[in-house]
Amino acid sequence: MKEIVYYFERDMLRWLRGRVSVVSALIAPAAWLIFVGLALPTTFSEHYIDFITPGILVMTMLGVSLQGGSLLVFDKILGFLNKFLALPSSRESILFGKILFITTRGLIQATVILVLAWALGASLFSLPVVLLSYGILALFGVLLSAFSTTIALYLSDHDSYAAFNAMVSMPLFFTSSALMPYSVMPPWLSAIAYWNPVSFAIDAIRSLQEGVIAWTRIGALALLVVAFCVRKFRRVTI
Amino acid sequence: MVPIETSGLTKYYGDLCAVDHLDLSVGNEIFGLLGPNGSGKTTTVLMLTTLLEPTRGSARICGFDTRDEAQEVRRQLSYVPQEMAVDVKLTGRENVSLFAKLYGIAGRDDAVDRALGMMDLSERADDLVRTYSGGMRRRLELAQALVHEPKVLFLDEPTLGLDVASRRRIWDHIRTLRSRGMTIFVTTHYMDEADASCDRVAILDRGRVVAMDSPAALRARVGKDVISVRVTGSVRGPFPEGIEYLGGRGDGEAVFSTDCGSEKVPLLFRWLEERGVTVRSISVHEPTLDDIFLALVPTREDGYGFDDHKFRTMLRRR
Repeated sequence: MKEIVYYFERDMLRWLRGRVSVVSALIAPAAWLIFVGLALPTTFSEHYIDFITPGILVMTMLGVSLQGGSLLVFDKILGFLNKFLALPSSRESILFGKILFITTRGLIQATVILVLAWALGASLFSLPVVLLSYGILALFGVLLSAFSTTIALYLSDHDSYAAFNAMVSMPLFFTSSALMPYSVMPPWLSAIAYWNPVSFAIDAIRSLQEGVIAWTRIGALALLVVAFCVRKFRRVTI
Repeated sequence: MVPIETSGLTKYYGDLCAVDHLDLSVGNEIFGLLGPNGSGKTTTVLMLTTLLEPTRGSARICGFDTRDEAQEVRRQLSYVPQEMAVDVKLTGRENVSLFAKLYGIAGRDDAVDRALGMMDLSERADDLVRTYSGGMRRRLELAQALVHEPKVLFLDEPTLGLDVASRRRIWDHIRTLRSRGMTIFVTTHYMDEADASCDRVAILDRGRVVAMDSPAALRARVGKDVISVRVTGSVRGPFPEGIEYLGGRGDGEAVFSTDCGSEKVPLLFRWLEERGVTVRSISVHEPTLDDIFLALVPTREDGYGFDDHKFRTMLRRR
């Protein structure tokens, strides 16, 4: 178990020492919140910022987690993965180290958004809601970072990983309930959006604001995906 | 306990046979696996380090089977891959410390200091690896590999891309490790290095071992002397008695072996001139592993050497 922390430490140190990546990680989500949250003309909500904040939070986790798979791609290309796989420590600790780092980094960015949303006048966040929202975001991060890291295991170069990322992230985001409620979607879109894992997380956070804890769907999916990924990591050969 | 033992070790990638029935028994020594690019050296190392599953056959490291007891095998060995994989944003000490932690070593700080000291990196240990030279990075990788005092050390092309001084230094370190009782399995395509430092070498060609012995014994197989001739024109047999053609290298060099080199030089010279081949230079030297290699591994267009004859035929056809 300790190995997970050691792998996490390694990625964290490398991230913190690359100053550009830290600054960009803090600015990018803020830009989304301001430009989308305040500028988009909407008719279904008086207070769009309250509606869009959960969407931007989940979108940030989505972007960060999918991007996070490239960490393993580089470990693989540069020869680190081979060295790690030849160690006696358990192989799934490599996966869990990545999940822990990617999710933590995502939660740090989520914090920036929450603070900013509060400063911009979002009113719906009480302390228990914020804490539970973190829980849901963490689950969502675990789900997607496990997925992206395992995909990275099977892709041989960074170009194909970037292609995979582009293919998955944008459709997932735009077919989710992030930007508008189900009630204003065309019927075909609302059907897709309802079964989109991104909506699982967004809907769970939105229902928190109404006092409902609904994380069965996101929790079950995360459990399933992580179990699958662990199996893949245990068996991996080069 | 035999450090490394394989029997019928075979790996197919689809239809391509990368390693073909490899039978090795490596004791407490520096064992060199030589061969041209694509001959199966790295595939062999990956199988021995449990990173790749053999298609057929088996391998044992210190008595543990690489397939059934992979975890135990990984406890016995350290592996340094071809790529220089050290984190440039971390310090040398942090790099080694990561591996010490992952190996779960007791007395971690001392072990890290010891490994860094052994590789002469103590003074620069707290600098970021970004500022290290290529040779230092390679030594840092060795320090990472040594921190848990493995019984068997696998090095894949340890001197690739290093300058002459750094190479010599790496080999000095490798020999020191052997004298402390470590088994070192190294792949390289620098013949001179293998010649100087390996106790035994195996020459691999298209996945098969074509020769396995000490460098001295292999050299003795070729004969006492090697004559290498730089020529213009194509060299073709049958050759005069007592002179054996080993092969051609780039730049129109043809290599022959014989028992008494200096006496055969005039003979060979006349023989070549009579056949319309212009001789530009002749030298006689003791056989090196390079010559053995030339004799044992047929040159191919995509392989190691350069086939003078084939090259000229190709030019003529144009």
